[in-house]
Amino acid sequence: MIRSFTLLLLIAFCGKLFPAGDSECGALESCIDYKADVHDLFSLQRGLGLYMNYCSSCHSLEYLRWNRLQKDLDIPKNILREDLILNPNIKNSDYMTFGLNSDDSTAWLGAYAPDLTLRTRVRGESWVYTYLQSFYEDASRPLGSNNLVLQGSSMPHVLSSLQGRQQLNNKGELVKVSEGKLSEQEFDNAMQDLVNFLAYAAEPIRSEREKNGIFVILFFVIFTAVMWLLNREYSKDIK
Amino acid sequence: MNKQNNSFMSWLDKRFPVTENLERHLTKHPVPKKVNFFYIFGALLMVIFMVQVITGIWLMMFYTNTEEGAFASVEYIMRDVEYGWLMRYMHSTGASAFFFLMYFHMFRGLLYGSYQKPKELVWLFGCFLLFLLMAEGFLGYVLPWGQMSYWAANVILSLFGAIPVIGPDLQVWIQGDYVLSGATLSRFFALHVVVVPLLMIALVVFHIFALHEVGAGNPEGVDIEKHRDEKGMPLDGAPFHPYKTFSALPAIGIFFVIFFSIVFFAPEGGGYFLEKPNFEEANFLKTPEHIAPVWYYAPFYSILRAITFGIPLLGITSKFLGFIIFAASIAILFVVPWLDRSKVQSIRYKGMYSKIGMILFAASFITLGYLGTKPVNELRTLIAQICTLFYFLPLILMPIYTKYEKTLEVPERL
Repeated sequence: MIRSFTLLLLIAFCGKLFPAGDSECGALESCIDYKADVHDLFSLQRGLGLYMNYCSSCHSLEYLRWNRLQKDLDIPKNILREDLILNPNIKNSDYMTFGLNSDDSTAWLGAYAPDLTLRTRVRGESWVYTYLQSFYEDASRPLGSNNLVLQGSSMPHVLSSLQGRQQLNNKGELVKVSEGKLSEQEFDNAMQDLVNFLAYAAEPIRSEREKNGIFVILFFVIFTAVMWLLNREYSKDIK
Repeated sequence: MNKQNNSFMSWLDKRFPVTENLERHLTKHPVPKKVNFFYIFGALLMVIFMVQVITGIWLMMFYTNTEEGAFASVEYIMRDVEYGWLMRYMHSTGASAFFFLMYFHMFRGLLYGSYQKPKELVWLFGCFLLFLLMAEGFLGYVLPWGQMSYWAANVILSLFGAIPVIGPDLQVWIQGDYVLSGATLSRFFALHVVVVPLLMIALVVFHIFALHEVGAGNPEGVDIEKHRDEKGMPLDGAPFHPYKTFSALPAIGIFFVIFFSIVFFAPEGGGYFLEKPNFEEANFLKTPEHIAPVWYYAPFYSILRAITFGIPLLGITSKFLGFIIFAASIAILFVVPWLDRSKVQSIRYKGMYSKIGMILFAASFITLGYLGTKPVNELRTLIAQICTLFYFLPLILMPIYTKYEKTLEVPERL
């Protein structure tokens, strides 16, 4: 059995010898590795704040309901209605469909602003995190900005007031040419909050799933142990 | 109470042979005492089949099988249905687990000759099950109506279109439309939830009935029926229940530890179980950069892609030839019982050529699987072509080397 296992492992290892795939991060060699933390409630709340201030005028969250957001992120009902929903015609159980419609978006920006509910699952958390950090000024683009991760992106650098302005040097690297409202570290933390919130929006159950999973696994570990003991008793009969 | 119970059982037995069948298939059915871990995959496959059926029924209650509603209904299941996310992740992880277990189960069959006379039908039913599982997986993969669902289905359906003369019409007939559309989705739904699972249940029953007729094998390839005790039980055998049922339970426990670790902590399986592009709704105007099948089809997809040449003289395009070789890679498994001419069953007693053949076959299969998930380039195509050759060669040459190679003597007892 051990020999069979070793053989299978060796065979499986052979696959790893071939060259890896192309970069998924556009002009960058690789994305900055980032794994979202959906357990930090305050970070999710800060991320929601950033989203509502900087993203929601274009991008909707069409699979997330307001009341789900309110419950999961522990938002007081009056704040939800007065500061987030704003529109009295929208019910708490409605989906968070705001943002630009695709016709306006295409006319004004040249592309439709995609719904962001599942974006971190489509692109990956590292990709979104790196993308948000990689805008730079590019006079050749209609809106004056470009992105190293998604070259030719139609999205303007909406976070420039926070991050400051960035340009490319002659080596193609990002350099800061003016300071924003946030320091580098503060901006980095803010982007982590935003990606954490997007990861939550992509899968609201994730935090509960990761918390509860351990009990299910523990149950099956105990089940296995009991069954192993039971089987040991039975197998004595046929030795 | 006992008396009442007995009289009830005798009443029942006169009308429906419950006890007879329980004894035949469970309490008195002899199975070899000594087998190795490779022999657990059959039981695990039964478990995962049940998981898929139960979670599938649950999902079916909330899923919408229309072009407009399918993708949103999956998100509805993930967010608004109580434990819908768990059912969905169990179903998607279950699909991968099903194939993983199936490949190991079949590899066990190849290693220990579980197809040799008189087990040909057991193997044949198993191969049909693999074919049905592949169909079931493909049909189910289209249902979430994500980008990869749509475009991978387009690739597979276009293969039917590559068949000379009848191809284009056949493709339209299968799709139910001139393009892959809502019409295709709803018929795939019907096939995925009714037709294929029904056929699979029937074949599982045939597979097990045939197995219980000819008896389970063992890694030594010893015929346990030869030596029996005074009660007729083989000396190297033990009743299926309770000995094998209880030996399967710890393995099922371990399986569920691994299974639920994925379900709860890595349901996307690193992008291999749930692929990233499939979180974006199908868009027939936007082709993904790299269309890859799910990992469990990757070896066969790699074979399909490896055929970069056709036979112009016969009017066979490279795409159609690829389709033929791809179909042959599955079809050849059906005839393995008639390719193996060896006197012994188990790889342990077969000769050097069988062992080399088995290693080449397994290594090619895994390498093809790896390559199938990656974008093509010249080197990868070349490696895939070599691996395709080494996938087929050990099987095609089997009648020759198994007939002439030196085998070891099989012991009388386990």
